[in-house]
Amino acid sequence: MSIPFIVLALSFVLLLILNVPVAFSIGIATLLAILAIGDMPAFALEAHRIATGIESFTLLAIPFFILSGLLMGQGGIAQRLIDFANGAVGGFRGGLSQVNVGTCMMFGSISGSATAAVSAIGSFMIPAMTEKGYDRDFSTSITITSATTGLLIPPSNVMIVYSLATGGSVSVVAIFAAGILPGILMGVALMITAGIISIRRNYGRSEGVSFNQTMIRLVKAAPALLLIVIVLGGILGGIFTATEASAIAVVYALFLGMFVYRELKLKHLPRLFLQAGVMTSVVMLLIGTSMAMSWVLAYEQVPQDISAALLSLTDNPYLILLIITLILLGVGVFMDMTPAVLIFTPIFLPVVQDFGIDPVHFGIVMIMNLCIGLCTPPVGTALFLGCGIGKTTVSNVIKPLIPFFLTMLVVLFLTMYVEQLSLFLPNLFGF
Amino acid sequence: MSFLLIIKKVLDRVLDFLVMAVFAILTAVVVWQVFTRYVIGLPSEWTEELATFLMIWIGLLGACVALRLRAHLGIDYVVRKFSPRGQMAAEIFSYLMIAIFSSCVLLGGGGKLVHLVWVNGQSSPALGLPMAVVYAALPVSGFFLTLYSLALLYETIIHQRGRNGAPPQQASDLPKIIE
Repeated sequence: MSIPFIVLALSFVLLLILNVPVAFSIGIATLLAILAIGDMPAFALEAHRIATGIESFTLLAIPFFILSGLLMGQGGIAQRLIDFANGAVGGFRGGLSQVNVGTCMMFGSISGSATAAVSAIGSFMIPAMTEKGYDRDFSTSITITSATTGLLIPPSNVMIVYSLATGGSVSVVAIFAAGILPGILMGVALMITAGIISIRRNYGRSEGVSFNQTMIRLVKAAPALLLIVIVLGGILGGIFTATEASAIAVVYALFLGMFVYRELKLKHLPRLFLQAGVMTSVVMLLIGTSMAMSWVLAYEQVPQDISAALLSLTDNPYLILLIITLILLGVGVFMDMTPAVLIFTPIFLPVVQDFGIDPVHFGIVMIMNLCIGLCTPPVGTALFLGCGIGKTTVSNVIKPLIPFFLTMLVVLFLTMYVEQLSLFLPNLFGF
Repeated sequence: MSFLLIIKKVLDRVLDFLVMAVFAILTAVVVWQVFTRYVIGLPSEWTEELATFLMIWIGLLGACVALRLRAHLGIDYVVRKFSPRGQMAAEIFSYLMIAIFSSCVLLGGGGKLVHLVWVNGQSSPALGLPMAVVYAALPVSGFFLTLYSLALLYETIIHQRGRNGAPPQQASDLPKIIE
């Protein structure tokens, strides 16, 4: 371990503990490490790394997916998705909880954000479920966990961040394609768990919705679902790049909100632009300083050292993946997803590649892993937001959350060791 | 003091407006790129570059707005357990760190970078725009971030309390704050 790395790690952890915003903690720790290396114009060097870190056309997809998500949220699609899900999966045991998961999957995919799904779907579904006799804490738990499926089902901003953190060795298209099956699998697994709990607690089914009625509801929800089809179809079909697709998503969301659903007004736009701008800049600053930090890590050959250390423990790739997964689960408990992806991808990716693990597959495992962290205390964005919306407390939902945590862990391990789950679609499309 | 307060309010609005306006322009630029490529069939050559540059400016100017709204992600788990005085100390420390980073790296280092590329006469390949104009986002943002962190530091000391006890603002709370 070199002195600059020790300086970096210690100062970073200390700054984080003292609640210095993550982006600035990274920036200062990096600065101290460069100063410790010595013989370099530290200030200008770091400034240059930050600027080149965010100078990327691929990254442009992030502000646009954020904006289209906000526009869709304003445009009143949540209710239509719920109506459709009610027809499609409401007839299963524990009807409304199935509807909840299904809607979270669709909305999470469209908005690309777990927190947006928690607030948009949770604020409809938790009261509705409580009214029908479902336990409030159970309803809150299922909303929190199923909202994270949207981060796996593309389009997903965190995947773009991952692609960037790999230095472009994983394309956005490949990781998008890879997320589809694991994301759906996660949703289905949560539905099964909800079904089993519903049988034990004697929760009923929703009133039957006729097939024709379901089709009518599908038509009403179709314009919103079409966004996923256009974006994914366009990107996977090689028609346009992720950035272009994100711009098309913005135009489509504007059109949909203003002229089809007519719930988006011109006066909403300045606020939404500003909100998207602020959300973008939070991510951008994180990316810039993380890129500077990963430069220091590479300069100090930290990934090589970690790789060597792990190799001295075992040379079994499955065991290595298990060790890294356990480390990341620990990280996810304390750190938000975007900074965790930015910081740990450059460290672990070279390691797993040494062991012959596919970088696309690793990306999916890492994101799914950090999804669990979003639902755990003490730092779980989805958990805290969900408890606020469900009008309950973190300590109340911990117990009902446990079966869903276990489900997520099972799916994580399944995905981890069945590579084809993530690699089948990218291989099929030839990425 | 009230004079300073007025200046701050004006600055708040100006930065809000800039982020909003540049975001709107950025959207128009990329939509134009898609339009020229798929509808007209003659892909525009400058849009990709301009869009990337606009995004750098949004990212760095928006960071100032985000600081004011306390939207930057942090981990308040440990600090929440401190005594009120401890929380205040942690908050003062946090603003000091932000001020040091912004002034040294973004303002100082960024300023030096701008000077270097200006002297080299480096310009962007498609637009021929001096790269100094692009990188100027660093020192400009560094200047405002330093200003805001010092203003927030001053506010914390004046009010004699830390804000760490208050729940961190979520991006989803923004509309209420902005309106």
